Amino acid sequence: MNTSNNREIKNDKDSILELANSLRWDVGPNYYDELMESIYKDAAKIADNAISIADEKTGFDWDRFLDKLLTSRVSGFPIMLLILAIVLWITVAGANIPSGWLSTLFLDKLHPVLSDFAITIGMSWWLKGILIDGMYLAMAWVVSVMLPPMAIFFPLFTLLEDFGLLPRVAFNLDNLFKKAGAHGKQALSMSMGFGCNAAGIIATRIIDSPREKLIAIITNNFALCNGRWPTQILIATLFIGALVPPAIAGFISAMAVVFIALLGILLTFLSSWFLSKTILRGEVSTFSLELPPYRPPQILRTLYTSLIDRTIFVLWRAIVFAIPAGAVIWLLANIQVNEVSLAEHIIQGLDPFGVLIGLNGVILLAYIIAIPANEIVIPTILMLTVLSKTLTGFGEGAGVMFEFEDLSSYQTVFAAGGWTLLTAINLMLFSLMHNPCSTTLYTIYKESRSVRWTVVSALLPLLLGILMCLITAQVYLLFV
Amino acid sequence: MKSKNRKQCAECKKSSTDHLTRLGIHSGKYDFTVALAGNPNTGKSTVFNRLTGLHQHTGNWPGKTVTRAEGGFIYQEKRYKLIDLPGTYSLLSNTRDEEIARNYILFGQPDVTIIVVDSTRLERNLNLVLQILEITEKAVVCLNLVDEASRHQLKIDEKKLMRDLGVPVIPTSARNGDGIPKLLQGIHEVVHGIYPCKPHRIRIESEQLKNAIDTLVGKLDEIYPDLPNTRWVALRLIEGDQSIIQAIKNGTFKNLVFDQTKKEEVIVA
Amino acid sequence: MINVIYVMLAIAVTIIFIAYLFHPKKGLIYRIQRVRQNIQRRFIEDALKHNYHCETQQLACTIQSLAGALSFNIDRTTKLISRLEELSLIKLNGKGLHLTSQGRRYALGIIRTHRLWELYLANETGIDEIEWHSIAEIEEHKLTEDEMDKIAEIMRYPRFDPHGAPIPTKTGEIPPKKTIPMTELNVGDYARIVSVEDEPKTIYAQITALGLCQGMEIHILEHTPQKIRFAAEGDESVLAPLIAANINVNLLQRKPHIRTSKYTLADLDPGKQGTVIGISTRIRGQQRRRLMDIGIIPGTLIASQIRSPGGDPTAYEIRGALIALRRKQARQIYIDPKKKTGDQR
Ligand SMILES: Nc1nc2c(ncn2[C@@H]2O[C@H](COP(=O)(O)OP(=O)(O)OP(=O)(O)O)[C@@H](O)[C@H]2O)c(=O)[nH]1
Ligand SMILES: [Mg+2]
Repeated sequence: MNTSNNREIKNDKDSILELANSLRWDVGPNYYDELMESIYKDAAKIADNAISIADEKTGFDWDRFLDKLLTSRVSGFPIMLLILAIVLWITVAGANIPSGWLSTLFLDKLHPVLSDFAITIGMSWWLKGILIDGMYLAMAWVVSVMLPPMAIFFPLFTLLEDFGLLPRVAFNLDNLFKKAGAHGKQALSMSMGFGCNAAGIIATRIIDSPREKLIAIITNNFALCNGRWPTQILIATLFIGALVPPAIAGFISAMAVVFIALLGILLTFLSSWFLSKTILRGEVSTFSLELPPYRPPQILRTLYTSLIDRTIFVLWRAIVFAIPAGAVIWLLANIQVNEVSLAEHIIQGLDPFGVLIGLNGVILLAYIIAIPANEIVIPTILMLTVLSKTLTGFGEGAGVMFEFEDLSSYQTVFAAGGWTLLTAINLMLFSLMHNPCSTTLYTIYKESRSVRWTVVSALLPLLLGILMCLITAQVYLLFV
Repeated sequence: MKSKNRKQCAECKKSSTDHLTRLGIHSGKYDFTVALAGNPNTGKSTVFNRLTGLHQHTGNWPGKTVTRAEGGFIYQEKRYKLIDLPGTYSLLSNTRDEEIARNYILFGQPDVTIIVVDSTRLERNLNLVLQILEITEKAVVCLNLVDEASRHQLKIDEKKLMRDLGVPVIPTSARNGDGIPKLLQGIHEVVHGIYPCKPHRIRIESEQLKNAIDTLVGKLDEIYPDLPNTRWVALRLIEGDQSIIQAIKNGTFKNLVFDQTKKEEVIVA
Repeated sequence: MINVIYVMLAIAVTIIFIAYLFHPKKGLIYRIQRVRQNIQRRFIEDALKHNYHCETQQLACTIQSLAGALSFNIDRTTKLISRLEELSLIKLNGKGLHLTSQGRRYALGIIRTHRLWELYLANETGIDEIEWHSIAEIEEHKLTEDEMDKIAEIMRYPRFDPHGAPIPTKTGEIPPKKTIPMTELNVGDYARIVSVEDEPKTIYAQITALGLCQGMEIHILEHTPQKIRFAAEGDESVLAPLIAANINVNLLQRKPHIRTSKYTLADLDPGKQGTVIGISTRIRGQQRRRLMDIGIIPGTLIASQIRSPGGDPTAYEIRGALIALRRKQARQIYIDPKKKTGDQR
C-alpha cells in the first residue's frame, strides 16, 4: 500500500517536471522578455499613481555637476589623485602626535612600572621577559605605531565611501581594467582591499565571471591594506621626510606613500593583464554598474563609529597576533645556542640574501614572523633590533630603557640596526609586494576553493617583491 | 568589545519607548524570522543595524553586502530573527546573489519579508517588489530614503502605494531612525495577521505564457494543495530553476536544506 | 660520514624520481599514456562525426573522404578504420563506410556534447561567437557523459545550439528540423533564422561578421541569382546565394514585430536621449537578462549622461538610476533617437 503510494507521488513529480519541460518549448525563448515587460508595465503604473513631483528640477543639479567634474577627461584622474593625496597627508600629519602620546604612555611610563612591579613580586627573569619584554612590548608597539594612522585613515575612507565616490572610481578605471582583461568592479574590491585584503577578497563576489573574479582575488594584495599603511607612513616619515626641510617633510612623506599606493594600483593592472594573457586567458565579460546618487554622509556619526570600529579591530588583532608573536620573538632572542641567540643565528643566516636585495636579515625574519598579520612587521623589527644586543649594541636584552617621546627615537633604533635610505625604500617596496597575511590566504582559499590559486596568490607578489627589491638595490648601489 | 556593548545599551534605552530591544547577534529561540530584501544600495543593512544594534558594514555603492548576516530583536515581547540579504535587481536571473535571496524567501519561508525600497527610484525598485510579492504574501514595503526623496522634491503617496501593492508601505529614513517604530508596527501586524495582505499579482500579457502557467498551476494545485505560491513555482519550473526541480525531485518544499557545502547559505525552514 | 649522507640523498632522489615517473594517477608515464589515448579517442570520434555528417547530407563516405577530413594519409586512415571495425562502430561495405547503430549512437553523443558545450559558451560565458566552435571541437573529446548530463540539466535540457542546430537527446533522438534554406525565400517574405551552419568556417565567419545569428528576424528585399538583399535588426545586408544557402530559416506567416533600428545606445552622445526599441538577438542568456533586470525594456527612455575619461563605459540614466555600460553592450541595444519628449519611460 505504502509503496504504491510512493510510486504515485513519484509519478506525479515526474509528470510535473515533464509538463514543465514541454511547456518551456511552447512558450518559446522570448518568454523572459515578455515577462519583464509585463512586470515593468505594472511597476510603471503603480509608480505613476503614487509619485508626485513638487517642483520640476528646482535649483542646481549638484549630482550631475559633481559627476561631470569627477569623471571628465581633464579633471577626473587629477581629482582622484588629489583626494588620495589629501587623505594620506592628513593621515601622515595627524598620526604623529597621538603616536607620540601612546609611545610615551606605553613605553616610557608603563613599561618601567611593569618591569619594576615584576621584579618586586619576584617574578623569575624569563617569565618577566616573556610577559613584559615579549608580549607586552609587542602589543604596546602595535597599538602605538599602528593604531593612530589606521584610526585616521579609515574614517576618512568611510566618509568618501558613504559620499558615493567608489563607484565613480570604478567608472573611471573601468577602461584600464578592460584593457587588462579584467572586470571594472575590480576597482571596488581593490578599494575594499585598501581597508583589509581579506575584506577585499570577499568583495570580489560582486564579480560574476569566475575568471575575472580570480584575477581580482589574486591581485587584491597589491592594494595596500590597513596593516601596511602605517609601515609605509612610518618609514616614509623617518627616512624620506628626513631628506627635505622640516617645513615640507610631512608633504613629501605623504607623496612617497601616494607613490607606493599608485605603484600598487599600477601593479594591479600589470599583473591582471599578465594573468589574463597567460594562465587566466579569456574574453572580458560584460559590465554594468549603478552609480548611486551622492549622499551627504553623517560626518560626526561616521567618524565616531568607524573610529570605534577600527580601534576594536586593531586591538583585537593586536591581542590575537601581536601577543603570541611577542612571546616568540622574546624566546628567539633569548634562547642561546653556542653562546648566540637563536634569533641571531637566523638573522645571520638570512642576512646575505637580505643584503643582496637591499634589505637585511632582521626584516626578512620579521616578515616570516609576521605572516599571521602585517601589523606586527614594524614592532617585530623594532623588537628584534633592540633585543639582539650583540647585533646592534643598542639594548640590554631584558632590561631595555626606552625614550620614545616622538618618532625620531625610532630612527635611533633603525640607525643602530645599520639602516640606510636603500633599506627604507626597499622595505616600503617589500611591504607592498609580499605574500598576503594568513587571514587573507585563508579567505582566498575559501573563496577560490583551490590550493593552486592560493599558492599563486602567495607567490606572485612575493617573487615580484624580491625581484623589485633586487633591481632597486643594484641600481641604488650603482649610484651611491 | 566593551565599548560596543555600552554603546548598544545607550541605544537600548532610547528605544525602549517603542517596545524594541536590540539583541545583536544573540542566538536562541525565535518566535518569528524576518528577511530583508531589496535592490542594492537601498539601505537594507542600515535598517538591519537599526533593528538589531549590530554594526553591519554599510556604504554608498551597490554590492556592499555579499554575505548573509543574522541578528535579533524583541518587539512587544516577541523575539524576531532578522536576516540581511545581498541586494538584487531581480529574482528571475541565475546569479549567485539572486539565488541566495530567492531561495531564502521561497524555501526559508520567513514569517515576513521586509522589502527595502529606494524612494527616489521607485519605479525600478517596484520591479523587484512585484516579483517578491509573487513569492510571498507576507511582506512589508519599507519606503526608505524619504529624506533623500524630499531633498529631490519627490512626494510619494504611500496610501495609494499601499492600496496598489496590497501590503503595508512604511516611509522611513533608516539612517536617522525615522519611521522605524512604524516599520516595527507593520511587521507586528503582518506576522500576527492583523493586516490582511492581498499582494498585487503581475498581469502577464502574453497569452501563451499565461496559458502555460495556468496549465502548470492546475497540475501543481492538484499535487501540492497547500503550496501558497504555485504561480511563482510554475514560472520557475518553466524557467527550469534547478533548486526548485531538485526540491520537487527529493521531497516537499518544506524542511529543505540546500547544498550543504555552501555553509553560510544553508537554508533551513 | 659525509658519503653516507650523499648516498642516502641520492637514493631519496631516485625514489622520488621513480615515483614521479610511475605514480598511477599523477606520474609522467601515466600522463603520457593519457595524452596518447586522448589523441586516439579524438581521431576515432572525429572519424565517426565525419561519417555521421556524410550520412545526414546523403553523401558517400569513403576512405578518401575520411582521410581528407582528418588530414591523414591513406595508410594511417586504413589503420584507423580497421580499429573502428574492431570496435564495431563502422562497417566497411565495398568502398563505402557505414556507421553501425552503435557507431551512430556514439556519433550522436559527440554531437550532443559539441552543441551543448557551444550553447554553454554562448549563454554563460563572454567568449566570442567566432571561438565557440573551435573550443567545442576540443572539449567534445574530453567531457564525459556524466558531465554532459549535468550541463544539460543546468542548461535546462535545451533543444538547439546557439547556431540553431538541434541537440540530440541523451537517447540519441534529434528534434525534427522543419526549415528551408534562405535561398528559397521570395521578395517580401518575413522569416526567422533557425540555424546557421557552422561549417565551412570561412562562410560561417562571413555570416557572423554580418552579425546574423539564430533567432533573428529577416525581411527579404531583393532576390536575384547573384544576390539576396535583406533587412535584419535594422541593418540591410547583401549575401551571395552560395553563402545564404548556409542559413536555414522558418517562414513567418505574419509580419513580425521587428524591434530594431539603425541606431544603438552606443550612438547616443552624452546629453542626448532615446527610447529603447529592443535588445539584439545576439545578446542572449544571462547577459540579456541582466540588461532587462536593470530596466532596459522596449519603451524605456534612456538619456546618455557621462562618459568615462578613457572614453569607454558611458553612464546612462535608465528609469531614474545612473547605470554604466560598456560600448560593446550599448551597441546591442537598439534605440529610437528621435523621440525626445513624451512619456517618462
Ligand atoms: N540619506 C539617507 N541615507 C541612507 C538612508 N539609509 C541608508 N542610507 C545610506 O545609504 C547607503 C547604503 O546603505 P546600505 O545599508 O549599505 O545599503 P544596502 O541595501 O545594505 O546595500 P547592499 O548591501 O549593497 O545591497 C549608506 O551609505 C547609508 O548610509 C536614509 O534613510 N537616508
Ligand atoms: Mg547591505
